Amino acid sequence: MRRSTATLWLGPALLLIAATAVFPIVVTFWMSLHRRFPIFGVNEYVGLANYVHLAQNPRFLRSAAVTLSFTLVSVAVEFALGLACALALRRDFRGHRWILAVLLIPWIVPTTVSARIWEWIYNGNFGLLNYLLLRLGVIAEPVVWTADVRLVLPAAMLAEIWKTTPFMTLLLLAGLKSIPQPLYRAAAVDGAGAWTTFLHVTWPQLKPMALVALLFRSLDSIRVFDVVYVLTGGGPAGSTETLSVFAYKKLFQSLEFGYGSAVGIAVLLLSAAVSALFLLCMGRLRPSSA
Amino acid sequence: MIRRAVLLLFLLPSACGKPKETLPSRPSDRVTIVFRHGRVSGFEAFFHQVIEGFEREHPSIHVAEEVMPWDSGQQHQLYAINLEGKSDAIDVMGLDIIWIAEFARAGWLMDLSPWFSADKQAKFLPATIRAATFQGGIYGVPWFTDAGLLYYRKDLLAKYGLGVPQTWPELIHAAQTVLRGENNPNLSGFLWQGKQYEGLMCDAMEFFGSNGVQVVGENGSWVMDRGRAEEALQLMVDLVYLHKVSPKLVLAADEEVARHVFSEGNALFLRNWPYVLGIFNKSDASIRQKVGLAPLPRFPGQPSVSTLGGWYLGVNRHSKHPQEAFLFAEYFTSFAVQKLLYERLSYLPTRSALYRDQDLLSRHPHLSLFEKILSNARPRPVSPFYMSLSEIFQTEISAALVRIKTPKQAIVDIEIQAKPILGRWR
Amino acid sequence: MHGPPPPVFGMNIGRVLGVWVAALFALWSLAPFLWQVQTSLRPDEYLARLPPLLPPRPTLAHYRAVLADPTFLRLVVNSLGVGAATTLASLLAGGFAAFALAQLPARGKGLVLGLTLSVSMLPAVALLAPLFLLVRALGLRDSWAALVLTHTTFTLPLTLWTLTHFFKEIPRELFHAARVDGLSAWQTFWSIHLPLSKGGIAACAILNFIFSWNEFLMALTFTTTDASRTVPVGVALFQGLHETPFGDIAAASVLVCLPVILLACLFQRGIVAGLTQGAVKG
Repeated sequence: MRRSTATLWLGPALLLIAATAVFPIVVTFWMSLHRRFPIFGVNEYVGLANYVHLAQNPRFLRSAAVTLSFTLVSVAVEFALGLACALALRRDFRGHRWILAVLLIPWIVPTTVSARIWEWIYNGNFGLLNYLLLRLGVIAEPVVWTADVRLVLPAAMLAEIWKTTPFMTLLLLAGLKSIPQPLYRAAAVDGAGAWTTFLHVTWPQLKPMALVALLFRSLDSIRVFDVVYVLTGGGPAGSTETLSVFAYKKLFQSLEFGYGSAVGIAVLLLSAAVSALFLLCMGRLRPSSA
Repeated sequence: MIRRAVLLLFLLPSACGKPKETLPSRPSDRVTIVFRHGRVSGFEAFFHQVIEGFEREHPSIHVAEEVMPWDSGQQHQLYAINLEGKSDAIDVMGLDIIWIAEFARAGWLMDLSPWFSADKQAKFLPATIRAATFQGGIYGVPWFTDAGLLYYRKDLLAKYGLGVPQTWPELIHAAQTVLRGENNPNLSGFLWQGKQYEGLMCDAMEFFGSNGVQVVGENGSWVMDRGRAEEALQLMVDLVYLHKVSPKLVLAADEEVARHVFSEGNALFLRNWPYVLGIFNKSDASIRQKVGLAPLPRFPGQPSVSTLGGWYLGVNRHSKHPQEAFLFAEYFTSFAVQKLLYERLSYLPTRSALYRDQDLLSRHPHLSLFEKILSNARPRPVSPFYMSLSEIFQTEISAALVRIKTPKQAIVDIEIQAKPILGRWR
Repeated sequence: MHGPPPPVFGMNIGRVLGVWVAALFALWSLAPFLWQVQTSLRPDEYLARLPPLLPPRPTLAHYRAVLADPTFLRLVVNSLGVGAATTLASLLAGGFAAFALAQLPARGKGLVLGLTLSVSMLPAVALLAPLFLLVRALGLRDSWAALVLTHTTFTLPLTLWTLTHFFKEIPRELFHAARVDGLSAWQTFWSIHLPLSKGGIAACAILNFIFSWNEFLMALTFTTTDASRTVPVGVALFQGLHETPFGDIAAASVLVCLPVILLACLFQRGIVAGLTQGAVKG
């Protein structure tokens, strides 16, 4: 395809990205190089001073750690659950289409609503979770999930996993369904069991789509905001403060636009690093044919 | 030829895509001002009616409403985005009491002194006026107010022959007596707001204040007494872990969670805002008869302190119609409108006269108690850097409450982080 | 091409297991939502009372309160419109770009795909202020256009990547045969690439529509009146100064989810058919 035609086809997408993504990134980076407090009418250029300060800020380092552990655990669990679900739905059985529609419900529920639902489920006094666990004899007395520093992050992760697993399921299902049947037949003829079939037929074919799904979920998870902010406000004692929550507080509560922008750029760099990692993995893939 | 050119000159600005925000003022008569405020679900028509009352009195002014969610954090964010760029899209704004110094310092609010004279100010509760005064100017008209108070179960206290507690030791003793006597695992002693959010700051300032602690002095300097603050924070921690009169639930509780538990009859004492009474009065729950109100307890030898909440009406510094905006603000905080708002929405009035209005008092006798509590109400530290201060306090107090730090360490860390903020910028 | 696998003993067990696993997941997905539904039917006094597990005197008062709000329907219309426009725009822009990318050499393709990811790299909270400036400069404040433009961009990476993957799987022979037959690139796109990528298109369409439906921060920041407000903002507006009318919010959120659930049910045949559409190889 000629360069000029390619540009035409790429045009609309590139224009949108330039305006809605590149422009804010440039503006944010520019702001991060300033000490900018509207409260004092201060707007002075300070170069990389904000970044130097960030690197030594224990609060920033902690929020980075919280974000990374949140991402690693949630995405891993979502992937496992989504894969199990997609594999289960691969075959046509009666009602499987309706089950798919039901599986989408967590994704359909708006994030802020979902966070509130889980807030009430986790309530120490009239929450569903305590009620069920007490009834089943799993716990002896009610647990205040969002006030216990050991339990609050897993609680937030669970809420997030519930909400976003359908995303994985759908993408993995699309990937699974596009694996040609003859490959399975060949494997069956060769007498391969379920696990061997999965390892040597399903997984290699699924890997490209799986990596796409993992990449996008990871990028979203690094920027997680709503579920944490509504459920815990970053607490208790800032123990669930992710990078986005930290950035939000700096930008819109203390109105430190320069410093908050620097946090935003830090998230960008982290996301870029993760993306680079994934791209490396994908680059090693060669399209496998039967 | 010349006519066409002139016509084109007039059309050109609109062809360039004038932003929709500056509403076209009709040539000569009507002026439109934009009033931004939190939306009251179920009462939009009522609000509209009240506003129409103003438009009838001032036919040359039209008021356009822009509603926002009532979440204070979201409103703060929206205002910051809109006002940072010197926008003139908003004229009158509903402001949380804690933002006034900050917005004033940022140059986003108009100093209302030219129109809001001293004798007009005198008609409002003095504490509300003080909270809106910054560096000699007045930046908001008090719209409605709020103060923390103690709700208690009259029947339970009577059952054990206990009086309404005046001091914290009395409250602890009362709660322990009742809890022991009732032997009900679902019953809690004292509920307050201990989740890490702005509400925690309100409660903490009451605990601290009841031990005579002030945080920011008159000239904006740091005046917090470490020893007393530590004592107050220790009390908060002890309520949960030592005296066991507050359940661990309070560490995740906001106003509504605490209110629900109390409404179910599962708590003896509740610290909350006056709105709870409005809810009880509207419902037909049996709890209504059993609830009493009182000022918050204090440390022996110190005064009782409530956190002063409330909202104000401010005028955008870059508004094109400041005079009309102030006229509206004045109308919306007038005697008649405040009376209406109190009866329909339970918004506590800010005009002193309403607390002596016989008509209102006959139907709402609690107003006299509210007035007494308001006279002891103190706003949270009035400072342009309040939001940063609040963040520091919240995190450290929460750390003490979940026992990651000792109260002593938390207070020290608060001072280490907060002092530079106050000291560096003047 | 897609019959059930030959009945070998191991495979049938797998099928039964699959049904059970799917059913379990369905329950897990449904449970919190059903909890929300039963909350929406509870009278105010029972909102914070547990037990009882089910509302003893179910009431429609909350639904009445939500529907009595004249603007709620308007918000649903806005959300539907913005969602539909976003999905369409995203599929088109993403589809066109993917078409070009599938044919570009690896280096150029990698560059563009990497650039697309930049959309998903900055936290949403950092995007608010710059985008607001842009929206205001373009005079798009309080309009559908602002939301459609931003939502389309945010859904572009997934659409682009997914469709590039599907387009790449289309064998070159088909593509060359079409060219030999005299079809232009444009015609090839519509008659070959799109029909053969129904799976990816279906998945992206659903995910993008739902993303736009649920998006809150931008909707809150760019819209000021009911002319363009969307449903998540509408739900947030139920919150009172101190009071959280959880019954009303529950009813509103159920009402909000219903149209999309309905759409998912109506189109589940098409969704699965699209997903089932296998590759052409073999």
